[in-house]
Amino acid sequence: MPSAQQNHLLEALSAEELLRLRPRLEPIVLAAEEVIYEAGRPLEYVYFPTTCIVSLMYGLEDGSSAEIAVVGNEGVVGVSLFMGGASTPSRAVVQCAGEAYRLPGPLIMEEFTRGGPVQHLLLRYIQSLITHMAQTAVCNRRHAVDQQLCRWLLLTLDRLTDMEIAMTQEHIASILGVRREGVTEAAGKLQKAGVIAYRRGQIKVLDRPKLEALSCECYEVVRKETERLLPWVPPH
Amino acid sequence: MAASAPFASVSNRLLDRLSREDRTRVLESCEAQDLEFSQVLAQPGDAMEFAYFPTGSFISLLVPMGSQSALEVSLAGNEGFYGVPLALGIAISPVQALVQGSGTAWRISAARLRREMARLPGLRDCIDRYIHVVMSQVIQTAGCTRYHLIEQRLARWLLMTADRAHRPVVPITHEFLAYMLGVRRVGITEAALALQARGLIAYTRGVVTIVDRRGLERAACPCYRLDLANYELAFQ
Repeated sequence: MPSAQQNHLLEALSAEELLRLRPRLEPIVLAAEEVIYEAGRPLEYVYFPTTCIVSLMYGLEDGSSAEIAVVGNEGVVGVSLFMGGASTPSRAVVQCAGEAYRLPGPLIMEEFTRGGPVQHLLLRYIQSLITHMAQTAVCNRRHAVDQQLCRWLLLTLDRLTDMEIAMTQEHIASILGVRREGVTEAAGKLQKAGVIAYRRGQIKVLDRPKLEALSCECYEVVRKETERLLPWVPPH
Repeated sequence: MAASAPFASVSNRLLDRLSREDRTRVLESCEAQDLEFSQVLAQPGDAMEFAYFPTGSFISLLVPMGSQSALEVSLAGNEGFYGVPLALGIAISPVQALVQGSGTAWRISAARLRREMARLPGLRDCIDRYIHVVMSQVIQTAGCTRYHLIEQRLARWLLMTADRAHRPVVPITHEFLAYMLGVRRVGITEAALALQARGLIAYTRGVVTIVDRRGLERAACPCYRLDLANYELAFQ
Protein backbone atom coordinates (compact mmCIF):
# COMPACT_ATOMS: atom_id res chain seq x y z
CA MET A 1 0.00 0.00 0.00
CA PRO A 2 1.37 3.43 -0.85
CA SER A 3 1.95 5.95 1.91
CA ALA A 4 -0.37 8.90 2.50
CA GLN A 5 2.44 11.10 1.22
CA GLN A 6 1.80 9.78 -2.26
CA ASN A 7 -1.22 12.01 -2.51
CA HIS A 8 0.13 15.53 -2.90
CA LEU A 9 -2.72 17.21 -1.03
CA LEU A 10 -2.09 15.00 1.99
CA GLU A 11 1.63 15.41 1.53
CA ALA A 12 1.26 19.20 1.72
CA LEU A 13 -0.26 18.93 5.22
CA SER A 14 1.89 19.56 8.24
CA ALA A 15 3.10 16.59 10.28
CA GLU A 16 0.64 17.52 13.00
CA GLU A 17 -2.37 17.55 10.69
CA LEU A 18 -1.32 14.36 8.99
CA LEU A 19 -0.92 12.72 12.36
CA ARG A 20 -4.48 13.69 13.23
CA LEU A 21 -5.89 12.44 9.93
CA ARG A 22 -3.79 9.33 9.41
CA PRO A 23 -5.72 6.95 11.69
CA ARG A 24 -8.91 7.94 9.88
CA LEU A 25 -7.57 7.50 6.35
CA GLU A 26 -8.71 4.16 5.03
CA PRO A 27 -6.62 2.62 2.22
CA ILE A 28 -8.72 1.22 -0.59
CA VAL A 29 -8.05 -0.46 -3.94
CA LEU A 30 -10.15 0.73 -6.85
CA ALA A 31 -10.71 -1.34 -10.00
CA ALA A 32 -10.80 0.14 -13.50
CA GLU A 33 -14.25 1.36 -14.55
CA GLU A 34 -15.55 1.12 -10.99
CA VAL A 35 -18.11 3.84 -10.29
CA ILE A 36 -17.26 5.78 -7.12
CA TYR A 37 -20.18 8.18 -7.30
CA GLU A 38 -23.32 8.46 -9.35
CA ALA A 39 -24.43 12.00 -10.17
CA GLY A 40 -27.09 13.30 -7.82
CA ARG A 41 -26.50 10.62 -5.16
CA PRO A 42 -25.43 11.50 -1.65
CA LEU A 43 -21.70 11.26 -0.99
CA GLU A 44 -20.37 9.20 1.88
CA TYR A 45 -16.62 9.54 1.43
CA VAL A 46 -14.01 11.68 -0.23
CA TYR A 47 -11.15 9.90 -1.97
CA PHE A 48 -7.52 10.94 -2.13
CA PRO A 49 -6.02 8.97 -5.06
CA THR A 50 -2.45 7.79 -4.69
CA THR A 51 -1.90 5.49 -7.67
CA CYS A 52 -5.37 5.38 -9.26
CA ILE A 53 -6.85 7.97 -11.63
CA VAL A 54 -10.50 8.98 -11.54
CA SER A 55 -12.56 10.60 -14.29
CA LEU A 56 -15.29 13.05 -13.38
CA MET A 57 -17.97 12.68 -16.03
CA TYR A 58 -20.93 14.85 -16.87
CA GLY A 59 -24.10 13.22 -18.09
CA LEU A 60 -26.97 14.75 -19.99
CA GLU A 61 -30.58 13.62 -19.77
CA ASP A 62 -30.34 11.85 -23.12
CA GLY A 63 -27.44 9.73 -21.86
CA SER A 64 -24.59 11.57 -23.61
CA SER A 65 -21.61 11.70 -21.36
CA ALA A 66 -17.95 12.74 -21.36
CA GLU A 67 -15.12 13.54 -19.00
CA ILE A 68 -15.11 17.02 -17.46
CA ALA A 69 -11.98 16.60 -15.32
CA VAL A 70 -9.46 14.00 -14.24
CA VAL A 71 -8.28 13.54 -10.66
CA GLY A 72 -5.13 11.71 -9.63
CA ASN A 73 -2.59 12.02 -6.85
CA GLU A 74 -2.73 15.84 -7.07
CA GLY A 75 -6.30 16.00 -5.83
CA VAL A 76 -9.37 14.71 -4.08
CA VAL A 77 -12.62 13.24 -5.41
CA GLY A 78 -15.87 14.45 -3.85
CA VAL A 79 -15.32 18.15 -3.23
CA SER A 80 -19.10 18.73 -3.29
CA LEU A 81 -19.24 17.06 0.10
CA PHE A 82 -17.50 19.86 1.96
CA MET A 83 -18.86 22.61 -0.28
CA GLY A 84 -22.32 22.00 1.07
CA GLY A 85 -23.54 20.21 -2.05
CA ALA A 86 -24.20 16.82 -0.36
CA SER A 87 -24.54 15.23 -3.79
CA THR A 88 -22.27 15.67 -6.78
CA PRO A 89 -23.23 17.06 -10.18
CA SER A 90 -20.85 14.64 -11.90
CA ARG A 91 -20.23 10.92 -11.96
CA ALA A 92 -16.85 9.63 -10.77
CA VAL A 93 -15.44 6.59 -12.57
CA VAL A 94 -12.07 4.92 -12.03
CA GLN A 95 -10.05 5.44 -15.19
CA CYS A 96 -6.87 3.63 -14.18
CA ALA A 97 -6.98 1.02 -11.42
CA GLY A 98 -4.95 1.71 -8.33
CA GLU A 99 -5.06 2.82 -4.74
CA ALA A 100 -6.56 5.69 -2.85
CA TYR A 101 -7.28 6.79 0.70
CA ARG A 102 -10.82 7.52 1.67
CA LEU A 103 -12.15 9.63 4.49
CA PRO A 104 -15.76 9.58 5.76
CA GLY A 105 -17.84 12.66 4.91
CA PRO A 106 -18.38 13.93 8.46
CA LEU A 107 -14.60 13.85 9.09
CA ILE A 108 -13.71 15.89 6.04
CA MET A 109 -16.50 18.31 6.96
CA GLU A 110 -15.03 18.66 10.41
CA GLU A 111 -11.55 19.31 9.00
CA PHE A 112 -12.87 21.76 6.46
CA THR A 113 -14.91 23.81 8.92
CA ARG A 114 -11.98 23.88 11.33
CA GLY A 115 -10.47 26.34 8.83
CA GLY A 116 -6.71 26.63 8.71
CA PRO A 117 -4.32 24.78 6.41
CA VAL A 118 -6.61 21.86 5.48
CA GLN A 119 -9.33 24.22 4.32
CA HIS A 120 -6.79 26.40 2.55
CA LEU A 121 -5.41 23.45 0.55
CA LEU A 122 -8.84 22.10 -0.34
CA LEU A 123 -10.03 25.53 -1.51
CA ARG A 124 -7.00 26.00 -3.75
CA TYR A 125 -7.61 22.56 -5.19
CA ILE A 126 -11.22 23.50 -5.97
CA GLN A 127 -10.07 26.54 -7.92
CA SER A 128 -7.74 24.37 -9.99
CA LEU A 129 -10.61 21.94 -10.59
CA ILE A 130 -12.99 24.69 -11.74
CA THR A 131 -10.36 26.00 -14.18
CA HIS A 132 -9.76 22.47 -15.44
CA MET A 133 -13.51 21.96 -15.98
CA ALA A 134 -14.00 25.29 -17.77
CA GLN A 135 -11.10 24.49 -20.11
CA THR A 136 -12.57 21.05 -20.86
CA ALA A 137 -15.84 22.75 -21.81
CA VAL A 138 -13.93 24.91 -24.30
CA CYS A 139 -11.91 21.94 -25.58
CA ASN A 140 -15.05 19.84 -26.13
CA ARG A 141 -16.57 22.60 -28.19
CA ARG A 142 -13.52 23.62 -30.11
CA HIS A 143 -10.99 20.88 -30.74
CA ALA A 144 -10.74 17.80 -32.97
CA VAL A 145 -10.63 14.27 -31.51
CA ASP A 146 -6.93 14.01 -32.48
CA GLN A 147 -6.01 16.97 -30.28
CA GLN A 148 -8.34 15.96 -27.48
CA LEU A 149 -6.77 12.50 -27.36
CA CYS A 150 -3.30 14.07 -27.01
CA ARG A 151 -4.52 16.37 -24.22
CA TRP A 152 -6.14 13.46 -22.44
CA LEU A 153 -3.06 11.21 -22.74
CA LEU A 154 -0.88 13.98 -21.29
CA LEU A 155 -3.20 14.69 -18.37
CA THR A 156 -3.28 10.96 -17.63
CA LEU A 157 0.51 10.54 -17.92
CA ASP A 158 1.04 13.39 -15.46
CA ARG A 159 -0.83 11.34 -12.89
CA LEU A 160 0.99 8.06 -13.51
CA THR A 161 4.45 6.96 -12.48
CA ASP A 162 5.32 5.29 -15.78
CA MET A 163 4.68 6.01 -19.46
CA GLU A 164 2.19 3.20 -19.97
CA ILE A 165 -1.57 3.54 -19.79
CA ALA A 166 -3.76 0.43 -19.47
CA MET A 167 -6.91 1.35 -21.31
CA THR A 168 -9.04 0.06 -24.17
CA GLN A 169 -10.03 2.31 -27.05
CA GLU A 170 -13.71 1.76 -26.15
CA HIS A 171 -13.08 3.18 -22.72
CA ILE A 172 -11.16 6.17 -24.08
CA ALA A 173 -14.01 6.82 -26.52
CA SER A 174 -16.55 6.79 -23.69
CA ILE A 175 -14.38 9.17 -21.66
CA LEU A 176 -13.96 11.62 -24.54
CA GLY A 177 -17.62 11.22 -25.50
CA VAL A 178 -16.78 10.30 -29.10
CA ARG A 179 -17.25 7.23 -31.30
CA ARG A 180 -14.71 4.43 -30.97
CA GLU A 181 -13.77 4.77 -34.65
CA GLY A 182 -12.69 8.35 -33.95
CA VAL A 183 -10.30 7.19 -31.22
CA THR A 184 -9.00 4.31 -33.34
CA GLU A 185 -8.23 6.69 -36.17
CA ALA A 186 -6.59 9.29 -33.92
CA ALA A 187 -4.53 6.64 -32.09
CA GLY A 188 -3.54 5.12 -35.45
CA LYS A 189 -2.12 8.48 -36.57
CA LEU A 190 -0.16 8.87 -33.33
CA GLN A 191 1.21 5.35 -33.66
CA LYS A 192 2.27 5.94 -37.26
CA ALA A 193 4.04 9.14 -36.22
CA GLY A 194 5.99 7.17 -33.61
CA VAL A 195 4.41 9.04 -30.69
CA ILE A 196 2.69 6.07 -29.06
CA ALA A 197 2.70 2.29 -29.32
CA TYR A 198 -0.66 0.63 -28.84
CA ARG A 199 -1.34 -3.04 -28.28
CA ARG A 200 -4.00 -5.04 -26.48
CA GLY A 201 -5.33 -2.30 -24.23
CA GLN A 202 -1.90 -0.85 -23.43
CA ILE A 203 -0.80 2.55 -24.65
CA LYS A 204 2.88 3.30 -24.32
CA VAL A 205 3.97 6.88 -24.89
CA LEU A 206 7.26 6.92 -26.80
CA ASP A 207 7.68 10.61 -27.59
CA ARG A 208 6.22 12.92 -24.99
CA PRO A 209 7.52 16.22 -26.46
CA LYS A 210 5.86 15.38 -29.76
CA LEU A 211 2.63 14.47 -27.96
CA GLU A 212 2.69 17.90 -26.33
CA ALA A 213 3.26 19.56 -29.71
CA LEU A 214 0.27 17.74 -31.20
CA SER A 215 -2.08 18.55 -28.30
CA CYS A 216 -4.37 21.57 -28.25
CA GLU A 217 -3.34 24.43 -25.91
CA CYS A 218 -5.84 23.15 -23.32
CA TYR A 219 -3.23 20.84 -21.82
CA GLU A 220 -0.80 23.72 -21.27
CA VAL A 221 -3.52 25.93 -19.79
CA VAL A 222 -4.55 23.28 -17.28
CA ARG A 223 -0.96 22.30 -16.45
CA LYS A 224 0.12 25.89 -15.84
CA GLU A 225 -2.90 26.63 -13.67
CA THR A 226 -2.27 23.47 -11.65
CA GLU A 227 1.36 24.49 -11.21
CA ARG A 228 0.36 27.98 -10.09
CA LEU A 229 -2.45 26.92 -7.77
CA LEU A 230 -0.90 23.75 -6.38
CA PRO A 231 2.79 24.64 -6.22
CA TRP A 232 3.51 21.66 -3.98
CA VAL A 233 2.72 19.16 -6.77
CA PRO A 234 6.06 18.07 -8.28
CA PRO A 235 6.40 19.04 -11.97
CA HIS A 236 6.66 16.42 -14.71
CA MET B 1 -45.50 38.35 -18.43
CA ALA B 2 -47.44 35.30 -17.44
CA ALA B 3 -44.78 33.53 -15.39
CA SER B 4 -42.49 35.46 -13.14
CA ALA B 5 -38.73 35.06 -13.39
CA PRO B 6 -37.17 32.73 -10.79
CA PHE B 7 -34.88 35.46 -9.43
CA ALA B 8 -37.41 38.21 -8.91
CA SER B 9 -35.90 40.39 -6.19
CA VAL B 10 -33.24 43.04 -6.55
CA SER B 11 -31.43 42.41 -3.31
CA ASN B 12 -28.62 39.88 -3.31
CA ARG B 13 -29.94 36.43 -2.46
CA LEU B 14 -26.70 35.21 -0.88
CA LEU B 15 -26.60 38.17 1.49
CA ASP B 16 -30.33 37.72 2.14
CA ARG B 17 -29.59 34.27 3.51
CA LEU B 18 -27.32 35.61 6.26
CA SER B 19 -28.59 36.46 9.72
CA ARG B 20 -29.45 40.12 10.11
CA GLU B 21 -26.37 40.62 12.25
CA ASP B 22 -24.00 38.95 9.76
CA ARG B 23 -25.56 40.76 6.82
CA THR B 24 -25.08 44.13 8.51
CA ARG B 25 -21.45 43.29 9.17
CA VAL B 26 -20.80 42.28 5.58
CA LEU B 27 -22.59 45.32 4.19
CA GLU B 28 -20.52 47.57 6.41
CA SER B 29 -17.49 46.24 4.52
CA CYS B 30 -19.13 46.80 1.14
CA GLU B 31 -19.61 49.85 -1.00
CA ALA B 32 -22.43 50.33 -3.50
CA GLN B 33 -21.25 50.34 -7.10
CA ASP B 34 -22.84 50.92 -10.48
CA LEU B 35 -21.54 48.50 -13.04
CA GLU B 36 -21.73 49.48 -16.69
CA PHE B 37 -22.70 47.18 -19.54
CA SER B 38 -19.58 45.74 -21.26
CA GLN B 39 -17.27 46.82 -18.43
CA VAL B 40 -14.45 44.28 -18.06
CA LEU B 41 -13.81 43.46 -14.40
CA ALA B 42 -10.92 41.11 -15.15
CA GLN B 43 -9.02 39.46 -17.96
CA PRO B 44 -7.50 36.00 -17.52
CA GLY B 45 -4.38 36.36 -15.40
CA ASP B 46 -5.38 39.71 -13.88
CA ALA B 47 -5.08 40.33 -10.16
CA MET B 48 -8.49 40.51 -8.48
CA GLU B 49 -8.92 43.30 -5.97
CA PHE B 50 -12.64 43.12 -5.39
CA ALA B 51 -15.52 40.70 -5.20
CA TYR B 52 -19.07 41.76 -6.08
CA PHE B 53 -22.50 40.79 -4.80
CA PRO B 54 -24.68 41.86 -7.72
CA THR B 55 -28.08 43.33 -6.90
CA GLY B 56 -29.31 44.73 -10.20
CA SER B 57 -26.29 43.95 -12.39
CA PHE B 58 -25.04 40.61 -13.67
CA ILE B 59 -21.62 39.41 -14.68
CA SER B 60 -20.61 36.88 -17.30
CA LEU B 61 -17.56 34.63 -16.86
CA LEU B 62 -15.95 33.75 -20.17
CA VAL B 63 -13.11 31.45 -21.17
CA PRO B 64 -11.46 32.93 -24.29
CA MET B 65 -11.04 30.60 -27.28
CA GLY B 66 -8.47 32.42 -29.40
CA SER B 67 -9.05 36.13 -29.93
CA GLN B 68 -12.32 35.98 -31.85
CA SER B 69 -14.41 33.75 -29.69
CA ALA B 70 -15.12 32.75 -26.12
CA LEU B 71 -17.36 30.49 -24.13
CA GLU B 72 -19.52 31.68 -21.28
CA VAL B 73 -19.14 29.17 -18.46
CA SER B 74 -21.04 30.95 -15.70
CA LEU B 75 -23.34 33.91 -15.16
CA ALA B 76 -23.60 35.66 -11.80
CA GLY B 77 -26.52 37.91 -10.95
CA ASN B 78 -28.25 38.69 -7.68
CA GLU B 79 -28.64 34.96 -7.01
CA GLY B 80 -24.86 34.74 -6.70
CA PHE B 81 -21.54 36.39 -6.36
CA TYR B 82 -18.53 37.32 -8.47
CA GLY B 83 -15.18 36.48 -6.89
CA VAL B 84 -15.04 32.69 -6.52
CA PRO B 85 -11.20 32.64 -6.78
CA LEU B 86 -10.95 35.17 -3.93
CA ALA B 87 -13.26 33.03 -1.82
CA LEU B 88 -10.93 30.10 -2.54
CA GLY B 89 -7.85 32.05 -1.49
CA ILE B 90 -6.61 32.89 -5.00
CA ALA B 91 -6.13 36.48 -6.15
CA ILE B 92 -5.78 35.88 -9.90
CA SER B 93 -8.74 35.58 -12.27
CA PRO B 94 -8.65 32.53 -14.55
CA VAL B 95 -11.41 33.93 -16.78
CA GLN B 96 -12.65 37.10 -18.41
CA ALA B 97 -15.32 38.78 -16.28
CA LEU B 98 -17.63 40.99 -18.27
CA VAL B 99 -20.58 43.02 -17.04
CA GLN B 100 -23.46 41.67 -19.07
CA GLY B 101 -26.22 43.70 -17.45
CA SER B 102 -25.61 47.17 -16.06
CA GLY B 103 -26.90 47.89 -12.60
CA THR B 104 -25.96 47.92 -8.97
CA ALA B 105 -23.71 45.65 -6.94
CA TRP B 106 -22.14 45.55 -3.49
CA ARG B 107 -18.38 45.62 -3.83
CA ILE B 108 -16.02 44.25 -1.18
CA SER B 109 -12.22 44.28 -1.19
CA ALA B 110 -10.32 41.00 -1.32
CA ALA B 111 -8.82 41.56 2.13
CA ARG B 112 -12.17 42.36 3.75
CA LEU B 113 -13.87 39.42 2.09
CA ARG B 114 -11.16 37.12 3.42
CA ARG B 115 -11.52 38.59 6.89
CA GLU B 116 -15.31 38.40 6.97
CA MET B 117 -15.34 34.85 5.61
CA ALA B 118 -12.96 33.80 8.38
CA ARG B 119 -15.09 35.52 11.02
CA LEU B 120 -18.56 34.62 9.84
CA PRO B 121 -19.19 30.89 9.34
CA GLY B 122 -22.60 31.77 7.87
CA LEU B 123 -20.93 33.74 5.06
CA ARG B 124 -18.38 30.99 4.43
CA ASP B 125 -21.16 28.39 4.23
CA CYS B 126 -23.26 30.51 1.91
CA ILE B 127 -20.40 31.22 -0.48
CA ASP B 128 -19.24 27.57 -0.44
CA ARG B 129 -22.72 26.51 -1.48
CA TYR B 130 -22.64 29.04 -4.27
CA ILE B 131 -19.24 27.71 -5.42
CA HIS B 132 -20.87 24.29 -5.62
CA VAL B 133 -23.58 25.88 -7.81
CA VAL B 134 -20.91 27.42 -10.07
CA MET B 135 -19.16 24.07 -10.46
CA SER B 136 -22.45 22.44 -11.37
CA GLN B 137 -23.07 25.22 -13.89
CA VAL B 138 -19.64 24.76 -15.50
CA ILE B 139 -20.16 21.00 -15.72
CA GLN B 140 -23.64 21.46 -17.21
CA THR B 141 -22.27 23.97 -19.71
CA ALA B 142 -19.56 21.56 -20.90
CA GLY B 143 -22.20 19.00 -21.87
CA CYS B 144 -24.54 21.65 -23.20
CA THR B 145 -22.07 23.31 -25.55
CA ARG B 146 -21.08 19.99 -26.95
CA TYR B 147 -24.38 18.26 -27.46
CA HIS B 148 -27.20 20.79 -27.62
CA LEU B 149 -28.38 22.69 -30.67
CA ILE B 150 -27.66 26.41 -30.97
CA GLU B 151 -31.38 27.14 -30.81
CA GLN B 152 -31.71 25.33 -27.46
CA ARG B 153 -28.59 27.00 -26.12
CA LEU B 154 -29.77 30.43 -27.22
CA ALA B 155 -33.13 29.86 -25.49
CA ARG B 156 -31.30 28.76 -22.33
CA TRP B 157 -29.05 31.79 -22.41
CA LEU B 158 -31.93 34.23 -22.93
CA LEU B 159 -33.81 32.75 -19.97
CA MET B 160 -30.75 32.83 -17.70
CA THR B 161 -30.10 36.41 -18.68
CA ALA B 162 -33.69 37.60 -18.34
CA ASP B 163 -33.82 36.03 -14.86
CA ARG B 164 -30.83 38.08 -13.79
CA ALA B 165 -32.01 41.24 -15.55
CA HIS B 166 -35.38 40.91 -13.74
CA ARG B 167 -37.15 41.74 -16.97
CA PRO B 168 -37.93 39.98 -20.26
CA VAL B 169 -35.91 42.40 -22.38
CA VAL B 170 -32.28 41.61 -23.22
CA PRO B 171 -30.19 44.12 -25.17
CA ILE B 172 -27.72 42.05 -27.18
CA THR B 173 -26.27 41.87 -30.70
CA HIS B 174 -25.94 38.68 -32.74
CA GLU B 175 -22.18 39.23 -32.89
CA PHE B 176 -21.91 39.25 -29.17
CA LEU B 177 -24.18 36.24 -28.73
CA ALA B 178 -22.02 34.35 -31.21
CA TYR B 179 -18.87 35.39 -29.32
CA MET B 180 -20.23 34.22 -26.00
CA LEU B 181 -21.78 30.97 -27.13
CA GLY B 182 -18.65 30.17 -29.16
CA VAL B 183 -20.52 29.73 -32.46
CA ARG B 184 -20.60 31.45 -35.85
CA ARG B 185 -22.75 34.54 -36.21
CA VAL B 186 -24.87 33.00 -38.94
CA GLY B 187 -25.78 30.18 -36.56
CA ILE B 188 -27.13 32.68 -34.04
CA THR B 189 -29.09 34.56 -36.70
CA GLU B 190 -30.75 31.32 -37.85
CA ALA B 191 -31.55 30.26 -34.29
CA ALA B 192 -32.98 33.68 -33.38
CA LEU B 193 -35.12 33.70 -36.52
CA ALA B 194 -36.43 30.24 -35.69
CA LEU B 195 -37.37 31.28 -32.13
CA GLN B 196 -38.98 34.42 -33.52
CA ALA B 197 -40.96 32.48 -36.12
CA ARG B 198 -42.35 30.32 -33.31
CA GLY B 199 -43.55 33.46 -31.54
CA LEU B 200 -41.26 32.97 -28.53
CA ILE B 201 -39.08 36.07 -28.89
CA ALA B 202 -39.09 39.34 -30.80
CA TYR B 203 -35.80 40.72 -32.04
CA THR B 204 -35.42 44.31 -33.13
CA ARG B 205 -32.36 46.51 -33.40
CA GLY B 206 -30.15 44.79 -30.85
CA VAL B 207 -32.90 44.05 -28.32
CA VAL B 208 -34.41 40.62 -27.70
CA THR B 209 -37.81 40.58 -25.99
CA ILE B 210 -39.14 37.34 -24.55
CA VAL B 211 -42.72 37.13 -25.74
CA ASP B 212 -43.67 33.65 -24.56
CA ARG B 213 -41.65 32.63 -21.53
CA ARG B 214 -43.21 29.19 -21.06
CA GLY B 215 -42.69 28.42 -24.73
CA LEU B 216 -39.07 29.55 -24.52
CA GLU B 217 -38.53 27.29 -21.51
CA ARG B 218 -39.81 24.37 -23.59
CA ALA B 219 -37.51 25.37 -26.46
CA ALA B 220 -34.46 25.52 -24.17
CA CYS B 221 -32.35 22.46 -23.42
CA PRO B 222 -32.95 20.82 -20.00
CA CYS B 223 -29.82 22.63 -18.75
CA TYR B 224 -31.84 25.73 -17.88
CA ARG B 225 -34.18 23.79 -15.60
CA LEU B 226 -31.34 21.71 -14.15
CA ASP B 227 -29.36 24.84 -13.24
CA LEU B 228 -32.34 26.18 -11.31
CA ALA B 229 -32.87 22.82 -9.60
CA ASN B 230 -29.18 22.67 -8.63
CA TYR B 231 -29.42 26.10 -7.09
CA GLU B 232 -32.49 25.20 -5.05
CA LEU B 233 -30.87 21.95 -3.93
CA ALA B 234 -27.67 23.67 -2.82
CA PHE B 235 -29.58 26.20 -0.71
CA GLN B 236 -32.49 24.16 0.59
